[in-house]
Amino acid sequence: MTKQIINLKNIDKEYKLGQTKITALKDVSLDIQAGEFISVCGPSGSGKTTLLNIIGCLDTPTKGNVKIIEKDVINYSDAKLSELRNKYIGFIFQSFNLIPVLSTFENVDYPLVLLGMKKKQRQEKVHAILSEVGLYDHKKHRPDELSGGQRQRVAIARALVTNPKLVLADEPTANLDHKTGVAILDLMQKMNEEHNCTFIFSTHDPEVMKYAKKIYHLRDGEIQKQGKRS
Amino acid sequence: MKFFKLALRNVFRNKRRTSITFLSIIAGMIALIVFGGFVEYSFWGLRESTIHSQLGHIQIFKKGYSEKGRSNPGEYLIKDFRSIEKKLYRLPEIELVTARLSFSGLISTGEKTLTCKGFGVIPEREKKLASFETLKEGSHLSAENKDEILVGVELKKSLGANMGDYLTILTTNSFGMINAGDLKLIGTGQSGSAEYDAVFVKIPLNAAQTLLDTQSIEKVVILLSKTEDTEKVVKKIQQIIDDNNLDLEIRTWDQLATYYNSVVRLYNGIFNVIKVIIAIIVFFSIANTMIMSIFERVKEIGTLRAIGTKKSGIMQMFLWEGFFVGVLGGILGIIAGVLVALIINISGGIYIPPPPGMGVGYQSLIFVVPEVLIYSYLSTVIVSTLSSIYPAAKAIRLYIVEAIAHT
Repeated sequence: MTKQIINLKNIDKEYKLGQTKITALKDVSLDIQAGEFISVCGPSGSGKTTLLNIIGCLDTPTKGNVKIIEKDVINYSDAKLSELRNKYIGFIFQSFNLIPVLSTFENVDYPLVLLGMKKKQRQEKVHAILSEVGLYDHKKHRPDELSGGQRQRVAIARALVTNPKLVLADEPTANLDHKTGVAILDLMQKMNEEHNCTFIFSTHDPEVMKYAKKIYHLRDGEIQKQGKRS
Repeated sequence: MKFFKLALRNVFRNKRRTSITFLSIIAGMIALIVFGGFVEYSFWGLRESTIHSQLGHIQIFKKGYSEKGRSNPGEYLIKDFRSIEKKLYRLPEIELVTARLSFSGLISTGEKTLTCKGFGVIPEREKKLASFETLKEGSHLSAENKDEILVGVELKKSLGANMGDYLTILTTNSFGMINAGDLKLIGTGQSGSAEYDAVFVKIPLNAAQTLLDTQSIEKVVILLSKTEDTEKVVKKIQQIIDDNNLDLEIRTWDQLATYYNSVVRLYNGIFNVIKVIIAIIVFFSIANTMIMSIFERVKEIGTLRAIGTKKSGIMQMFLWEGFFVGVLGGILGIIAGVLVALIINISGGIYIPPPPGMGVGYQSLIFVVPEVLIYSYLSTVIVSTLSSIYPAAKAIRLYIVEAIAHT
């Protein structure tokens, strides 16, 4: 039996933009199982990023209940949420978001340092994941010495190095050319299969959607339909 | 340690910004070190000139002199100077022991009469004691001639006297009778204090004793090899007094130098104000640079928070950055401050016009004092670390979702 990893119940998210109230998510309910490879799609402004932010405990809903890895996170303190993100959730961002002053090795090492892991164990883990993403030889390079595809690989390595239960990728291929984007998706798929961790990525690119085993279509903050790839 | 490394890297990532911060720290530290060194030199100069022109390091009086002796000096004179002197010379720290007999009175050329403050001194020892007093004209008192007088440069001017003139001193002797003596003007001296130079006269001790009709002295003046030994020697002298049951009391130069003490208080007050002003400038300069760096690093801070860094971690990172800026900038500041001080000293010092109450200006050197360096360095590190609190507080208030999407 697969384990439920995300449970969203009647989520509303409203923003205030000046005097105007904007509804980013409206009555969204979701159940996601461990090991799934899911795409959240929809046009710009449909609420994809807001949904990922709420799942990733970076933002809180205006209404509704959020359960991540069987934890009711709504009333969690900021420090507790930080710990949860560090331990269980990996993030891959559209513009890579690597720490510019750290090398490839140090960027990937950072979440393990936060976990308080011993140096030797960290080194083994970082070397292993860098080999998996094909960047072992670039471990001393700074982000500005890497190509876009290489930077996103570092981001993937950083997201996976803690063996998270969940990886969230917000438009991971949007800043990459087609060929590199495909390579990144292949890598994510491989990691999903090998590490058995849940991947949720947002996109509005139909080519990218094809990779997902399950697709949630969002429009105006509501889930319009849920699809399954055969 | 994890934020330590990140902070250190951040300090060096934007070299221009860090250089600007370092420059303000260096400027502040140069100001502190040079001004602090100037103050130290001024204290030293004033202290040594006070000691070596008027007071000596230690003075010994007959017991009760400090309280009642001024109104009735004849009652508080020391009779057995020679035996006290012999005992004092056993102490190795003592360079010179001399005696003085002071008096107040009138000095007259016959045409003009002014008030004066007179000192009967042992001529051959006085030269050594009053080494900071310069002879402006003529010669020092000689041991042989009892009827010589040396007056302050301003006093000679006011009297309109010439070298070789006989001046009449009129005073009351130790029995309260008026007495007078004629003495030949052989020299003028300058102490640096215009007020003092307008009243002082020096005559041989035996001339003063004749004038005051006594064989006693008013006080024993002691000069030490090193000013720092004062407290130590006072204890030893007190021991001698106690052991020999002598009816004497001790005063140190700093108890007697009221002018010096008020100058020290004034300068310390000014120095403290300057320290605070510099600290405020450095504080805002560093805080401003750090706030600028937050605007450049919004996305990075958001990312660090997203991947699990707690607010306390971001706070630590910024505090470490402030600390490093202070530590490294402070080292550069010390080097720069010492260099500037050395350059000033090599070029002969800074000309300071005559301070209030002084007759002449002087070239001030800058003393490089370890205490000033340590103080400046520590305060720079503390101010720098404290100045990163506000930027850090601003950084932890960033909304993660907006920060990670910041372009």
